[in-house]
Amino acid sequence: MKKIRWGTLIAYIILAIFAIITVFPFIYMILGGLMSFRETTTIPPTIIPKHFEWSNYAKVFAQAPFARYFLNTFITASVTTIVSLFNALLGAFAMVNLKFKGKGVVQMVLLSLLMVPGEAIIFTNYNTIARMGLLNTYIGLVLPFLTSIFYMYYLQSYFGSISQTIYKAAMIDGASDWEYIWKILVPMSKGGLFTVALLSFISGWNSFLWPLLVTNEDSMRLLNNGLTSFASDAGSETQLQLAAATLTVLPILILYFIFRKQIIRGVVRNDLKG
Amino acid sequence: MNDEKFVEVKNLKKVYDNGHEAIKDVSFSVKKGDLVCLLGPSGCGKTTILNMLAGLLNPTSGDILFDGKSVVNVAPKDRQIGYVFQNYALYPHMTVLQNVMFPLTVGKQKMPKDEARKIAEKYMATTQITELADQKPGNLSGGQQQRVAIARALVQQPKILLMDEPLSNLDARLRLKIREEIRALVKSVGITTLFVTHDQEEALSIGDKIILFNNGVIQQDDLGQNFYLEPNNYFVANFVGNPVIDNFNVKVNGGKITGSDFEINVDDLDKDRFKRDLTDGEYVLSVRPENILPVEEDGAVSAKVDDVELIGRERILKFTHDGGQARSLVNLETPIKPGDNINLKMRLDRVFLFTKEGERVY
Repeated sequence: MKKIRWGTLIAYIILAIFAIITVFPFIYMILGGLMSFRETTTIPPTIIPKHFEWSNYAKVFAQAPFARYFLNTFITASVTTIVSLFNALLGAFAMVNLKFKGKGVVQMVLLSLLMVPGEAIIFTNYNTIARMGLLNTYIGLVLPFLTSIFYMYYLQSYFGSISQTIYKAAMIDGASDWEYIWKILVPMSKGGLFTVALLSFISGWNSFLWPLLVTNEDSMRLLNNGLTSFASDAGSETQLQLAAATLTVLPILILYFIFRKQIIRGVVRNDLKG
Repeated sequence: MNDEKFVEVKNLKKVYDNGHEAIKDVSFSVKKGDLVCLLGPSGCGKTTILNMLAGLLNPTSGDILFDGKSVVNVAPKDRQIGYVFQNYALYPHMTVLQNVMFPLTVGKQKMPKDEARKIAEKYMATTQITELADQKPGNLSGGQQQRVAIARALVQQPKILLMDEPLSNLDARLRLKIREEIRALVKSVGITTLFVTHDQEEALSIGDKIILFNNGVIQQDDLGQNFYLEPNNYFVANFVGNPVIDNFNVKVNGGKITGSDFEINVDDLDKDRFKRDLTDGEYVLSVRPENILPVEEDGAVSAKVDDVELIGRERILKFTHDGGQARSLVNLETPIKPGDNINLKMRLDRVFLFTKEGERVY
């Protein structure tokens, strides 16, 4: 007979408990979005709705311009991802492969800036954007996020793991820096670039504070802000709030589901997250 | 044309940013079509020189000329060189064919794909990797990767081929095979080649001539056999040769060379071999193990054999002398066992005398 390993068993039980605690709000949110109003507010609470009220979603779309929020969020998240990835790529390449005066100083300044939390500079950023007259514009939404020291630093460690002789070989083979980046560096670092793109897209999708500050028109709102205003607009209709929340989270959940391996690898690699 | 000095290095110096003087005033030249080995222990500066020839490093001072023209201010890609790296530096995401074609698809040499493919296939045939065309480097053995790297280096039809320890990642048997192949290939293409290695045997077997470095200085720039027969100094004598040379501390006084238990008359030495006058003082007498042999009669040195090591056709007799270990290289059939007492005699026309500073006197 196989001996029961108590340690493993206990570990699994603890893990299971925490997994349930973590997942429960998500499950409840999805189920709650399909309940009737009564079901969401009864005590003891309902877990599984009797009828799935798909019409909740139709009501959500009718009550608020969610399609517009989706579009706005998609545009800003995509633009910040593409541009910040491009900048991080060039910056990291320069720091790893190019020799220039003051490289050490630049590196140190960049690293120390990494220590400054985004919230600390959010009001100066707001002032800048406001004075430039960019409130309620896409540019205002994305401008502060078009470069990211963290992503650059992340890619730098990724590129650093590619042997320097590969760069030298490319130089001798006659490739320009530009050719090296696109024909060798990018194809060789797909994993790292993908992780950065994913992290950037997710954080763009989830952004809340900055869009809340720089937009106040309904047409420029992003999903998360739309959600909060919808919550207050919809008043006590909790089932609609939950349905809207599900809508907001769904794309990210799908992304996580498809790319979970890359995300975990990406986060584990650097022991920290942006 | 400048065939005798196809590659010329003049008073080359390299001081790294941390103040380390890697290369101290080095000058040498390479004949067109020759295969020259840059030999030396780790950290002697041989790879630094290769990198300066390639343009991957800038010299602190001095000049490098290819075919009579200075290339110090020429970018690596415009120097018409091929470079084979120690770790081959193949592009892992490309197939063998794409790797070999790469130099022809970028920069100034950029040409239509079909044309590039034809040239690449020609060099892949030369290096016998045609059937590997669609493989990724990760699936290849060390020897195959090596050939891909050489094909990629040759595909630009460079004037000069630089190889940085290209055999060090291969196992011993393959190393012997590939080094013969490299020599044959380089000679058939007729390209001038500089080959960096720390392995003297490799250098001796492959090189038309050898330049031996230590501490950023050329110790000897010569034909292979002269490193054995006529070493410039104590370092060369000790670096080249396997088993290593035997060294005895001696005193020269009044026409006699005195070791701990032997004595040699200076008059018995070959007068023509003196590099300069022998003055009284302390010296090191060095003799290669094949030139110090057991004899029946009382010889110059008597010793007790500590150990006998078999190396193929020969045996090394190891004995302790004057506190240090010394060796004698004898025939396989010699019936000497550990513990035997033997008398050894040196071939006086084959010994060397060095000053304590390492300068050769005899």
